[in-house]
Amino acid sequence: MSRIGVFICHCGENISRTVDVERVAAHAAALPGVAYATEYKYMCSDPGQTLLKKAIREQRLTHVVVAACSPRMHERTFRKAVEAAGLNPYLCEMANIREHCSWVHEDREQATVKACDIVGMMVERTKKNRVLPTITVPVTKRSLVIGGGIAGIQAALDIADSGHEVVLVEREPSIGGHMAQLSETFPTLDCSQCIMTPKMVDVANHPKITLYTYSEIELVEGYIGNFQVTVRKRARSVDERTCTGCGVCMTKCPQKKIPNKFDQYIGMRTAIYVPFPQAVPNTPVIDRENCTRFKTGKCGVCQKVCGPGAVDFEQQDTLIVEAVGAIVVATGFDLYSISEKPKGSPIKGYGEFGHGKIPDVIDGMTFERLASASGPTGGKIVRPSDGREPKQIVFIQCIGSRAREKGISYCSKVCCMYTAKHTMLYHHKVHDGQAYVFFMDARTPGKSYDEFWRRSIEEEEAVYIRGMVSRLYQKGDKIVVMGSDIAVGVQVEIEADMVVLATAVQPQQGADLLAQKLGISYDKYNFYSEAHAKLRPVECATAGIFLAGACQGPKDIPETVSQASAAAAKVMTLFSKERLEREPIVARVREVGCVGCFACKKVCAYGAVEEKEIRDRQGNLLRVVASVNPGVCAGCGTCQATCPSKCVELDGYTDEQIVAMIEAL
Amino acid sequence: MINTIDISHYGTVAESIRIEAARILGEGLVTAVVAYTAGRRAGSVQPAIITSAAEAERLTFTAASVNNLAVYLTKAKKDIPRSGRIGIVVKGCDLKALVGLMGESQLQREQLYLIGIPCAGVLASTVRPAEPLTAGNLAPKCRECDAQLPEGCDYVPEIDLPLPTPLESTYAAEIARLEGLTPAERWAYWKEQFAKCIKCYACRQVCPFCFCEQCLCDRNKPQMVDTTPRPAGNTAWHIVRAMHLAGRCAGCAECERVCPMDIPLNLLNRKMAKELKELFDYEAGFAVNEKGPLTMFMEKDDQSFIK
Repeated sequence: MSRIGVFICHCGENISRTVDVERVAAHAAALPGVAYATEYKYMCSDPGQTLLKKAIREQRLTHVVVAACSPRMHERTFRKAVEAAGLNPYLCEMANIREHCSWVHEDREQATVKACDIVGMMVERTKKNRVLPTITVPVTKRSLVIGGGIAGIQAALDIADSGHEVVLVEREPSIGGHMAQLSETFPTLDCSQCIMTPKMVDVANHPKITLYTYSEIELVEGYIGNFQVTVRKRARSVDERTCTGCGVCMTKCPQKKIPNKFDQYIGMRTAIYVPFPQAVPNTPVIDRENCTRFKTGKCGVCQKVCGPGAVDFEQQDTLIVEAVGAIVVATGFDLYSISEKPKGSPIKGYGEFGHGKIPDVIDGMTFERLASASGPTGGKIVRPSDGREPKQIVFIQCIGSRAREKGISYCSKVCCMYTAKHTMLYHHKVHDGQAYVFFMDARTPGKSYDEFWRRSIEEEEAVYIRGMVSRLYQKGDKIVVMGSDIAVGVQVEIEADMVVLATAVQPQQGADLLAQKLGISYDKYNFYSEAHAKLRPVECATAGIFLAGACQGPKDIPETVSQASAAAAKVMTLFSKERLEREPIVARVREVGCVGCFACKKVCAYGAVEEKEIRDRQGNLLRVVASVNPGVCAGCGTCQATCPSKCVELDGYTDEQIVAMIEAL
Repeated sequence: MINTIDISHYGTVAESIRIEAARILGEGLVTAVVAYTAGRRAGSVQPAIITSAAEAERLTFTAASVNNLAVYLTKAKKDIPRSGRIGIVVKGCDLKALVGLMGESQLQREQLYLIGIPCAGVLASTVRPAEPLTAGNLAPKCRECDAQLPEGCDYVPEIDLPLPTPLESTYAAEIARLEGLTPAERWAYWKEQFAKCIKCYACRQVCPFCFCEQCLCDRNKPQMVDTTPRPAGNTAWHIVRAMHLAGRCAGCAECERVCPMDIPLNLLNRKMAKELKELFDYEAGFAVNEKGPLTMFMEKDDQSFIK
């Protein structure tokens, strides 16, 4: 026979204002199986918890029901208290009479009756609670970081500095990401390369970091603490161990006119190349699509001139399996290509702005490369069409961003600031030039951000025009920009030499495919979703996977670095234990009744359901049944709802308990 | 109304089944063949499982070969699949059930040797088995058949199937009639139908998709469904049955055929199929799907129910 204790909380006045707590306590005390019922002003406070612990011991209670707030708020608090008093924590349940009752009702009489019902249901359910042992799983203290931009680099360095091994995987031939492409950075205008490249070198030299560049994630298996990740290391055609990075191969390569992606295709590179001189690793890669040797079988100059004999045309992709305990996803962003409507995408292009048709209409990243000292023009801002210096330059903000009718409703967050920076860089380099900016609002929340933006107007003479551009067209060698100035209410027409579009920040191409491999969720734009927008901003809902940087949503560099360090701290917390404890609210399969249809496996969002073979003593296969891996199960209960013969039970939410609750009503 | 349906080829089909069954059993390709043999009444048939080539001469196929033999490969006779590869005679509608069972990990294609029937239709269950097949006494499911020639079988007798005369679907007409009623009228209709149920569970036993080791309606801890044939339990059972078959049932109509109380069970199944077709553009039984429409989420899924 159970001896249940019911503890009713006033929650200050939050509950007692609408619910007659004394009447609820009297009702509870009369329920069969209830040995003790009381109420108190703040049950979660120290005296409240002491009262509960004392009652458990003195009244020899077997189960506890705390009628108070939502279990999301204080279930853990009371389970700890119950455990401290010597009971299994999972014999304690919360009856939510605040969010589900007092907060949503006005009539005291009806609210009290409802509170009695809620308590009655929870008493019946708690009677059927089982003692649940805490689940522990081992943890592999190695981490995988996906993406070698500033987010991935920061996370990898922080984790590695704490003494744990890191595997860093980057899709491009070099780490560095978008930050390596930038010229100078807001709000201090320090050179991006100067602050970025030392970190890249740190990664390459760190004894705890294994770096795979030109590599992609092929397959992710396992669960928190125990992931097995298969990395596809694409054939570089150059042996990384023997290559000294002397660069002779690149100077001798006859294919010299290949547009370089790193330079936004305005600079040229060779077929065997490093994307930029400061690349890490400084090992070239052969672009097999453009290499004469791979196209016709005829060249091979690079191999002939290579002193250490590192060039290997026969190299194949290799698959490497890495065991890791945590994963940081830092795949970053891409700029929205506005020249055409991306195939199969709901996002519409901006044909009216001539990007891709008029050569001197460029995007913000291209401007960065023009302004960068290491860029294709050596830092001279010139027109891609004829190499002349633009004397009138127009910047247009919110291209793609905040345009619901074009398919993207969010703000890309960094464009206001980088456009202000562009006007400054331009003014510093073209003293007699004039910059105009078309903008909707200037969004400058951030330390020293608004001051920076004001400076572009007040000291660097940028002319800001509030309004959007309706049309652009080429007229002779000028670009006519037609727009409206809504502050004055007039139509504006500017004959510009160059137009820079602040295009929207989007997740990387294929972000959705990677999310599917990882089993993490993503929003309609393919940005990865955090577990809680406010309280768990760096964790994924999938345990053991963390987010850093713009793959989660548009972010600037300081925010990205903060989040990367936060993700690293989460990984270190995970690695601070030998075994991971997990709440034992997990699904269990009643194997005797399981018919092996695997509907549960099909609906499981966490990959927690496995196929288990049942054999007789001779080893003959009798049946194949479903089996839940408690280390992976998140306790969502979808399998329980799906099982046609009700052979999956979620501990703490068994069918018996649910039916008992219904029958108590 | 009395336009006779041409089933003159059934004799040849039966002969072909006998030859093929004898061959595959004789060559050791399969350990057993599930097929039809003659029943006691003139023209009637009954399911049979034969394990030797000599028995093949007993096999037949007539317009009374209405049973869906797929059920013998599931829970009812679950020892059969374990004994090796099995031959089975399938009409198009029966094949759909097998396809569904493969999708639900109950069968594997390699375990089966499928003898497909070029089918012109079978008799309704209320008709004497010796009667000639006409548009009037055709089984209702055959009126809307879209799988006269089962696809992907290991063997199908080579016969030029006579072109079917298009017939109006009686199920579609009845669904349209019920949809035209008010919810109260519709509820009254089904209440009357379910009240007839005697909880014999014949519909469950004959259904290839009711393959659970233990039906949730037989559970008593907790008891989900009242076991006695009273209105609440009857309604619960029929709702569970219809819901569990949504997206799976391909309309062999065996439940309706075996119901001793003549409850129009396949009408519920067809209505669920219609909903699935409209909501998810999904029809059961045509491809071995890893996931059905009710076990997966797609962004284009109708979400109008979220208010």
